[in-house]
Amino acid sequence: MDIEFSKWFPVASTSDLPYRHIFQAQLLGREYAIWRADDGHVNIWENRCLHRGVRLSIGINEGSELKCQYHGWRYANRTAGCTYIPAHPADAPARTICNNTYQSQEKYGMIWTCETPDGTVPEIEGFGSYTVLRPIPINSSYKTIENFLTNVGIPKHQFVKSKSTVAWQFKLESGTQISFFIQPQNNNISILRGIYSLHIEGAEKIKILKHYNSIMVEIRDKLEKQDSPQLPDLEPKISQVSDQLSKIPVYGNQNQRFHLRVTVTEKVRISDNIIKLKLKSIKEQLPTFHAGAHIDIQLQNGLIRQYSLTNGPGETDHYCIAVKIEKNGGGGSKTIGENIAIGDVIAISSPHNSFPLLRNSKHTIFVAGGIGITPLLSMAKALHSMKLSFEFHYFTQSQDLSAFQNEIYKLGKNTNTYIDLTIDQTLSKIEKILETPSPLNKVYVCGPGEMIENTIKIGNDSGWNESNLRYEYFKNNNKIDNDSTFQIELARSAISLNVPSGKSILEVLTENGIKLESSCEQGACGTCKVSVLEGDINHQDVYLNSSEKRKGKVILTCVSRAKSDRLILDI
Amino acid sequence: MLKLYDYELSGNCYKVRLMLAFLGLTYKQILIEFYPSKQHKSQEFFKINPLGQLPVISDQDILVRDAQAILIYLAAKYDRQKRWYPTRNPAMIAQISEWLFFANDLTSTSSAARLHDGFFYTDIRIEECRKRAHELFRVLDEHLYFNEQQGYSWICHSKNPTIADIACFPYIILSEEGGISRINYPAIRRWCDRFKRIPHFTVMPGVFPAGPDKTLDK
Repeated sequence: MDIEFSKWFPVASTSDLPYRHIFQAQLLGREYAIWRADDGHVNIWENRCLHRGVRLSIGINEGSELKCQYHGWRYANRTAGCTYIPAHPADAPARTICNNTYQSQEKYGMIWTCETPDGTVPEIEGFGSYTVLRPIPINSSYKTIENFLTNVGIPKHQFVKSKSTVAWQFKLESGTQISFFIQPQNNNISILRGIYSLHIEGAEKIKILKHYNSIMVEIRDKLEKQDSPQLPDLEPKISQVSDQLSKIPVYGNQNQRFHLRVTVTEKVRISDNIIKLKLKSIKEQLPTFHAGAHIDIQLQNGLIRQYSLTNGPGETDHYCIAVKIEKNGGGGSKTIGENIAIGDVIAISSPHNSFPLLRNSKHTIFVAGGIGITPLLSMAKALHSMKLSFEFHYFTQSQDLSAFQNEIYKLGKNTNTYIDLTIDQTLSKIEKILETPSPLNKVYVCGPGEMIENTIKIGNDSGWNESNLRYEYFKNNNKIDNDSTFQIELARSAISLNVPSGKSILEVLTENGIKLESSCEQGACGTCKVSVLEGDINHQDVYLNSSEKRKGKVILTCVSRAKSDRLILDI
Repeated sequence: MLKLYDYELSGNCYKVRLMLAFLGLTYKQILIEFYPSKQHKSQEFFKINPLGQLPVISDQDILVRDAQAILIYLAAKYDRQKRWYPTRNPAMIAQISEWLFFANDLTSTSSAARLHDGFFYTDIRIEECRKRAHELFRVLDEHLYFNEQQGYSWICHSKNPTIADIACFPYIILSEEGGISRINYPAIRRWCDRFKRIPHFTVMPGVFPAGPDKTLDK
């Protein structure tokens, strides 16, 4: 056949995708792993793991992620982005590790796909309701079966010239119809699929299914007896990663940071002071995120704010954030509280992750204070779905208690919520939580600045290794001193620049056309971190821990400066 | 104590290991190397099974050879609930027996193709084995499809799996090692998923576990 890449073909019956199954299919030589996630989305992916090429159809459908059987690489529902590589438990995989995905549509009780779709699955007249017949694989070409259906047909049925290019329709005297479809697996093998134009159940259904099964098997046996010439098999090209991912992005495009457009589809006040927003992409697929990630939001009044995603693993059809309305805050939360409504379109960045979840711990302890729960919630959901050991401690005030109760409940037994504790009570609880340090365990803490500082101090005092105490500040309360003037040399770019007083390194870089990714721009999130080759640093951030600051090998360019006359940066 | 004369890579031995696991029986494993030393064709082993075939079990003074015979013996003797082999239900025994013989046909086709591809057996007519295996798979796929339609998850018309499922599983799940693809047998593939989710299911080299079941996941 002439290969029609813009034509839709059915590649599975809906009933081929029972709970947590991965279906192996083939169309025009290309193999697919087809799986339905627990949220109902049907994924059609290239049937190979990006790591060693093993078929994903022998992997495990975990409901929101697919896990390869060979080395356990995980891929997210919808995006097919790799979310976890067990051999590198301490790293979040690059977003560029992404399998090829194909269009999927569910119609007439079948799953359809198309390589380069032009429109949607065509309507087939007279099939408002239907029953899917048992598909029959035939060792025959598409053309042979097409000729048979058009010229020979089936007994007692009248061939109806159909308007649709994908279906061969036949009519019985009673008016009931049968529609056949041909799925060319490869040049010499195809699947004959059929639907019956009535929805039937019970004994009548079995009778009809058996009746048409025997008719279709007869067609198969007739065609397979014919001596048709064998054509060479098709070998589809398996494309590399997309251009967008493999090429260096265009320089200096300032809008790129907020390149995603999302619609607010849900805005719920989940407690007195906390609002939950659900954001859905307008057209393109949202990028894969990793637990602990945050996004930058550009608000209508020009303010830029960061919010952690609270999504569980593989939830790629939307992003969820929770915003605490600060009565005396900088205005960002107030804007969200008052000015953003359901249906609004806002611009956001791709997720950044400078607070990644490391899965190389024997046991993980989460200490969440107030709204600081958000990144930890996403992490705990990821560990819970992988059945890795953790405990979750949440300190909150009674007015906010209701906000995350449901989600915490779903994390299982090892969760504790403490309500309205005084500072002293909180600290003695944290002492208790951290009383047995272990080099195999990790602690993640997020909450008010004071709580983080105290938790790190308690952890250090009880003998925890500093690198096992991990934290994320939401804001930097330090007063930033930007008086100094110094030189920066960019080792890789062979450029020297002057940083005057009143300007940050990041600002100077941006003014000179050197694009560095940044997010919070107040020394809290770590996105603009750069390696330092030489020079003394005046650290003013709250992202680096004290040993990192002592070593002086990295700098947050948005707030920190030089103590010496010059800094040599590794960019 | 039960003794199993066993070879890790044999699908027929795997049937018995599955049965023992499902019934929760402990046993002593006596390893007989099938490849490359062909210990099953040694004079010592002929004393245990003159046919020179694996597996064999010994249960006190009883010796049983042939995988299907062993399944019948173990289920009849040790399954108190009489689910795996309902000895008092002649109609069910008839169904089970049909598929036990079918399993034997799988050994002479799908398993033979695997011996050719993986164990360097040269006296096997490989194309014929594969063709015949595909014919058998077609029959089983259609049978399982209509079982599903009638609400049956297993090979026989029973609520629970039977020894017929155990007897057929190994050489179906290992078929691709003999160059026999299962891409066109979707009902067989769904049944394989269900089989792997039977409590106490165990794996062998080349057989992978399935993800958790809906009921177990909660």
